[in-house]
Formats: sequence, structure tokens, C-alpha cells
Amino acid sequence: MTLYGYAGKILRLDLTAQRAIEIDTGEYRSWGGGHGLGSALFWDFCTDKTITDGTDPANVVVLTSSPLNGTLAPSAGRCEVVGVGLNTHPVHWYTRSNIGGRFGTMLRHAGYDAIVIEGRASSPVWVDVRNRKVVFHDASDLWGTDTQTAQERIWRRIGVPRDLKTGWWNLNETAEEALDPATDQGRTTQRPAIMTIGPAGENVTCGGCLVHDAGNVAAVAGFGGVWGSKNLKAISVIGTGEIPVADATALLRARTAIQEKYVSNIEQPDFEAWTKIGKQPKLMAMVPPPTDEYRPQACQGCVSGCRARYSVGYGHETKCQVTSWYFAPARRVAKSTEELVEINLRAADAAQRYGLNTYFALTGLHWLEHLVEEGVLGPGKTIHSELPWEDYGTLEFAEKLVHALSCREDIGADLADGWVQTAYKWGREKDLRTGHMAFSYWGQPEHGYDPRAEVEWGYGSILGERDICEHCFNIIFTNVTAAFAFAKPMRIPAEELVSIISEKLSPYAKNRPEVLDYSDENMYSEDVAQLVRWHRHYTRFYKESALYCDLRWPDFYNTNTPDRRGATASDDAGEHVFWNAVTGDDLSFDDGIELGRRIWNLDNAIWTLQGRHRDMVQFAPFIYETKYEQGELFPFFMWPCRDAGGEWVYRDIMGRSMDRQKFEGFKTSFYRLEGWDVASGWPTRTTLEGLDLAGVAATLEAAGRLGKGGSS
Amino acid sequence: MGPRNTHLDDPGGMTRRRFVASMAATGCVAAGSSGVLLADGRFVIPIAEGFLVVDTKKCQGCGSCMMACSLAHSGAASYSGSRIQIMQDSFGDWPDDLFIAQCRQCQNAPCVEVCPTGANHVDEANGNVRRVDPELCIGCRMCIQACPFTPARLQWDTGNRKSQKCDLCVDTPHLDEKGGPDGIQACVRVCPVQAIGFTREMPSQTLADSSYQVNLRDWVWKRLGMTAE
Repeated sequence: MTLYGYAGKILRLDLTAQRAIEIDTGEYRSWGGGHGLGSALFWDFCTDKTITDGTDPANVVVLTSSPLNGTLAPSAGRCEVVGVGLNTHPVHWYTRSNIGGRFGTMLRHAGYDAIVIEGRASSPVWVDVRNRKVVFHDASDLWGTDTQTAQERIWRRIGVPRDLKTGWWNLNETAEEALDPATDQGRTTQRPAIMTIGPAGENVTCGGCLVHDAGNVAAVAGFGGVWGSKNLKAISVIGTGEIPVADATALLRARTAIQEKYVSNIEQPDFEAWTKIGKQPKLMAMVPPPTDEYRPQACQGCVSGCRARYSVGYGHETKCQVTSWYFAPARRVAKSTEELVEINLRAADAAQRYGLNTYFALTGLHWLEHLVEEGVLGPGKTIHSELPWEDYGTLEFAEKLVHALSCREDIGADLADGWVQTAYKWGREKDLRTGHMAFSYWGQPEHGYDPRAEVEWGYGSILGERDICEHCFNIIFTNVTAAFAFAKPMRIPAEELVSIISEKLSPYAKNRPEVLDYSDENMYSEDVAQLVRWHRHYTRFYKESALYCDLRWPDFYNTNTPDRRGATASDDAGEHVFWNAVTGDDLSFDDGIELGRRIWNLDNAIWTLQGRHRDMVQFAPFIYETKYEQGELFPFFMWPCRDAGGEWVYRDIMGRSMDRQKFEGFKTSFYRLEGWDVASGWPTRTTLEGLDLAGVAATLEAAGRLGKGGSS
Repeated sequence: MGPRNTHLDDPGGMTRRRFVASMAATGCVAAGSSGVLLADGRFVIPIAEGFLVVDTKKCQGCGSCMMACSLAHSGAASYSGSRIQIMQDSFGDWPDDLFIAQCRQCQNAPCVEVCPTGANHVDEANGNVRRVDPELCIGCRMCIQACPFTPARLQWDTGNRKSQKCDLCVDTPHLDEKGGPDGIQACVRVCPVQAIGFTREMPSQTLADSSYQVNLRDWVWKRLGMTAE
């Protein structure tokens, strides 16, 4: 039977024995793909799920694609990575990350829906995957190279033509193989998609990323460091296979609907449209482009590229926070906007080449500055550092800092094991109380949408295992705050906006706009708990398993359409419409949410085995003990709230702290709604069995960690 | 006329030209239904009524055109099976970081000329599009080798052991709109940035790709921050 939407095989890489094993994807079909598939594989192949150290050889890392990768489903080209990470505190949770570009798509053309990485190689290796042919190679001479050099060397070894216009190249090893229909591997014009680590990963740092092409990065979880601990330098995938699609006609029709109905007309675009899927290609950088000579660069299947490749030779494919991780210090020394841009983009390139996560810089640089100003960090100081702090803000300093953090040198020797861990080691716990060290959740830096304001971001992060980095509702802040800040028109009034969004929050919060009210009076309510549930379940399936892009989905509201309703959950171009066209399923939008709930529960079961308890689910102290007074960009944080008369207005919700006791009440509401044990936060038998996860319940029970109580 | 290719000079093969020549007694004979061999040896076929032109400086490299092409034609997602190919170097500098290879629907169409069975033919019922009839294709790959461009604008269908090429979406069973010169082309339809255009005016038939490389960037592109030059 054709498994529509799937390559049909999963590859297990036993690094210890350097052995490749195939299993059928069909056994895991009920998990969909992406994160769900990854969690199920982790559950089955990580034999010790109590590990809390990502470098443990028992750790299993899974790379997973989605049935939608490479099929024309719009902006669904990402690849999910799961496993025990390196970048959380107090323990390394089972966590996730994902990465754009071509890898997920090419993995499927190479014949696999997922790769399960197990064990630890005795010496550095890289793995060559071509049309289900898997070869382990010695990577001794690649070890120590940066991410670009590693990829270019592997391309050469594989025999990829250096010149783009050289044309088709043959995946056959012999002429006889090409002539035999049974063995012909076919031809391609494409370059292998390579996922690799740089020095930051090789040195097993918490900032180690997985990097693919110039600027696709799985960063936050620290999986680069996990690969480094496993002596895995790179995986290369290339193939000529095809992915069977159940209803290509429906798929093409839905794609056309997206572009003709929901995307702003490129001939007469609305440049200020309020939408996620409907924007024109636009560089998403925090600094201006260094030149107008560039193209938008997109992940496979995206309708709106957000990155760039320039004529100037730097900054390629880097976007968002990475383009500005060094902005604040560079601004102090740059003598012109042009210099400021070049310093930032070259600093970004340095991080990409070292394979270093730059999110530490969101608030971590402020912390280091504070320590320098306080006189405790520097040459001969309590915290000795020979970094040239007098050059702070120059490109040279940025490069030295990236090197130190990536190679465990200078302060990087400590910070490589975690920033909050380092704060404790340096005796700076107080900085987590004052907010000088603004690492909000699980030892990870505040993203900029502070839990004291944008509560669904904070709640989702702390009830999960990492900074969620899911901008589903954050688009409200972006649209409204920007309009407020720059005196632009509010394209949709507050009451209409929350009404439109809540229409799409089925099943828990459908037509309940009050769930979006983040006022002081409502921020701990069961209403908001229902919103957070919906968000956790939506993202676990649609965003992290179907692998729709975070920047383009969900499309709740959309000013390109006459009724301002976005594509999300719509009958003509909703997320489930593409899923069904590709897979042949008859999935309703709500079915997807329910599948997300199942995946979320499996994740919680893993965290529970790792030692999670509700008592651990706490923000950093400064979230409770100080007020949120200054945002990353603006001194206000606009959000729709109900006023005293019950009318919806856009209101500034900055200036408040989180109430610890009320947050405990919120947790209780959330656990109850999820059908989890409110005393421990652990999944219960009733809930798990209701999700067809009786085996998971049995495992938790055997471990003495099955929650008590029933379902919601 | 366009360049001669090495295959035409190969004494061993039965090319379409030889096939036609062997049948000709008067120096002018119809080849199949669409080609004419003139007395001076030139092989003439009707000009196609549609052409794809591209703006490589504008393309965002999303691969949507490749996916749409294979889906519309075969119902499956495949890069190797796409009639249009996008090649990128992630580390290259704009504009040399990306190249688009689309069939040019050549005036002289060496791929048609060289086909020994008439499988690669001019479809007069559909705007003279040069296309391959899979029922007649014997998988000799001579058309692929005859294509004077790199990469060759015809593809080898590994599964079916036949050649295939762009037909401007004449034969697209999975497209619920009319394709072809008088209809739509899937790659043009799905390109999010309109980096692929369709024209009825035949571009200059030089070997250089420049005649099919056009500037499709306008004031909107400039407003989005990118050069329209």
C-alpha cells in the first residue's frame, strides 16, 4: 500500500558500531511526522529515558522530516530535531529544535523520513547518505573546520560539480549501475544537503548548533554539542527519489488559493498587511541590508523568503536575532550605519561558521557588561578574563568572544556548560534576582517577549522545556505595538481582532475571545490556561510535526482578505487541507490539535521520567521579584485587553511582575485541564490511555512516576 | 540555424534527420507531421507559440516551481523529475549564487531533430510545443545529449526509462486548469515572486542564455528593498 507523503523508511545510525539499520515508517504513521515521529522514535530507541545529561552515550537524537516537506505545502519546509539537549538548567531536558533550508526535503528524496542517531563513535565520523546507500567516513580531517569549510569539502568528496552550471551529475558509481533499471540511481542538479557542526559543537558546548548551508541553524537546544559528544561531524543527504502525493490536484489548488487569496498581490501589494502567510518576501533582519543587491532566499516551498544572499560576500542567509546579536556593543563603536551593519553581519557569519548559538547574547552580553562594570570580570579580576574588553563593540572582539565561547577558552571554559550554571559557579545567583541576568526559563535567555507581559510565551516555555520561540500569538504584539510606536493605523480594532482569532481556537477556546485577555485581572485565569493548552497542542502538531514555519503560520487574521480571516483552519487553504492532500488522510483541523495533545503528553511522560515535578516549574526569580519595565525594542507592550467596562482595547501591559502564588494557581488550572496530576504535573493513566498511550502509562507506573487522578 | 551537435555527425546512429533524409526523394518531405527538411539540408519546424523566461536575480530559490512541475505532470514531488531546475550555492554571492535552467522551446529544437522515432515532436495542436510522447520514446537519450545547453533541459525519467521535457504544461493530468501556451504553466503560477514569465514572443535564438534571462523586477521589488536594475 502506498504511504502517501512519506519516503517510507527510517534510518537508524548506530555510531558505536558504525552500522546503518532501516525500519519502516509505517510503524510510526500514527505520529504524523516531525516532532511526533521524533518523540515516538526517541521513546522506543532511547533505552534510558532518565538521563539528564545530553552527552550521555545513551542519548538519542532524531532528525525528522514532515510529509509536507518538498510538496508545495506553503512554508512547510523545516526539519525537526529532538533528543536530550545541552542548553537547559537545572537538568538537560528532552527537547527540540528545528532548522529550515533544504535538509528535510532532500532527506526524503534520499529515501528517509527520519534519521535516528544512537551511540557514540570512537573517533570523528561523517555520514554520506545517497538514495538509501549509507556510508560512514572518517572525519578526522574535517574535525576543527568551520561549518562552511566542512560542507564544501564534503561536496567535493562526493563529486558535486563546483560550477552551478555544470549541470546534471550522476549518483551512480558505475556505468553498469546506470544502465540497469533495477540499480539506476538517477541524476540530479542539486547539491547534497549537509547538516554539520563547527568548533562550538565539537567542543561540546551548550551553544553548539547544527548548521546547514550558510544560515540554517538548529540552535537553542545545543544539539551541536550533543553531536560533538558523539563524534559526529556531519550528515550529508542527496537523492533522486520522489514522494508520492495522494491528491496532487487538491494540493496545487490549495497552493493557488494561498497565493491568490491570502498573499498580498505582488503587483499592487499591501506592504503593511497584517498577516503571517500573506507577506511579500522581505528580509527579516534586525539591521538594514548592506546593499540592495541581493535576493530573498527561502526554505523549500516557502511563499515568502525572509533571508538574503548579497553581492557583498557576507551575511548570507542570516536573519532575525543572529543579525543583531552584537548590535548593542557595535553601536557604540561604529562610526556609520554602513559600518554598524557590516560589523553585525560579519559577527553573525563568525557565529554561523563556528556553529555557535547567539541567543545567549539577547541578555547574556548585558550580564557580562554588568560584571565588567562592577569590576569583577576582566584581567586579574575575580572572574579572570583576558578578552580585550576595551575593544568591546569591535568586530575583532566579537570574533574573539565567539572563538572563546566555541572553544572553551577564557570565560568560555565555564560558559560552555551553561550560562546559569556559570552564574552559580561564579557566585552570581543574585543576578537572577535583580534581572541583571535575564534568563527567564530553564536557564535560557529571555527572548524579548517577557513572561510578565506576553504570558502565553512564558507559560508555554516553563510548562514545556525551553524558550518556545513560537510566534503564533506574538504577531499581535508585533502588529499592534509597531502601529502604536510608529503612528500607523490599527488595521483591525481590538474587539474584531480577538473575535477573528478565537474563531480559529477550536476546540478549547473557540469563540472565547476572553482567552486572549492578558490584563492583570485575567492573566492567571483558566481562560488563559485554555489558550496555552491550544497553543501547546497546535504547535506540537502543526508547527513542529507538520513543520509549518513559525514565521508564516498560523495565519489567524489577514487584511488581504475581504473578511480579514486568515488561512489557518480554513476550508480552502488551512493547515489540514495541505496535510490531507499530501497524505490522503481525512484530518479535520481539530484532529490535528488532538494529535498535538497526544504528542505533548508523550513529551511530558519523557520529562517525568527525567525527573520533572511541578515544583521545578518555576521562572527565574527576577520574573517574580522585579517589574518588567523595558522591552527589547520599546518601553511599552501593547496587547488587546478588556477594560473595566468590558470593552476591548489595546493596552500597555508592561510594568508588572508575576505573582508567584497566582502562578501556582495557574499551573493547577493547566494541569487539571490537561488531565495531569495537579500535585506533581505528571500524566495520569486515564489521560494516557485516552490517547492510546497505555504502554507509556505502564512505563511511568513501573518507574513510580505515574500521576494520580483522572482526565479533564 | 542553431548549432549542430555532435550526435548529428555520428555516423552510427539513426537520427531523425537521417530517417527523414532516407525517406526523401525530392529534397522536401514532411517529417512526422511537423518538420520539413529543406533542400539545403536545414530541418525546419514551426516556431513554438510560447516560451518561459526567467529572472535569476529575482528568484528566491524556494523550489516551488520544481515541485509544482513534477506534481502537475506526475502527481509526485520530485526534483529530478522537474522540467525546470533551480541550482543554488548557499555560499555564493548574488547574482551568481543561483541558476535557473528551463527549456527554451528552441526554434530549431535539436532534441526534436535528433529523435529517431518522432517521440520528441512538435505538437501543432498545442501551440507547436516541443514535447515527448512517452508512448513513442524508446529511451535512447539522444535528445538529452542533443540539447546544446548545460544542464540539458530534458530529463531522464529513471523509473520509466524515457526522456521527458517541458511541454508548457500541455500534458498535466494533475492540474485542474488548462495548461499549455493557451493556458497556464504550473511553474509560472506558483512562483511566489514572479521570477518566471511566459511570453509568446520568441526570444533571440542565441546559444547564450541571456535572451531568456529577463528583468522581471519592478517598483514593487524596489520598494521591498532590492534592486530593480
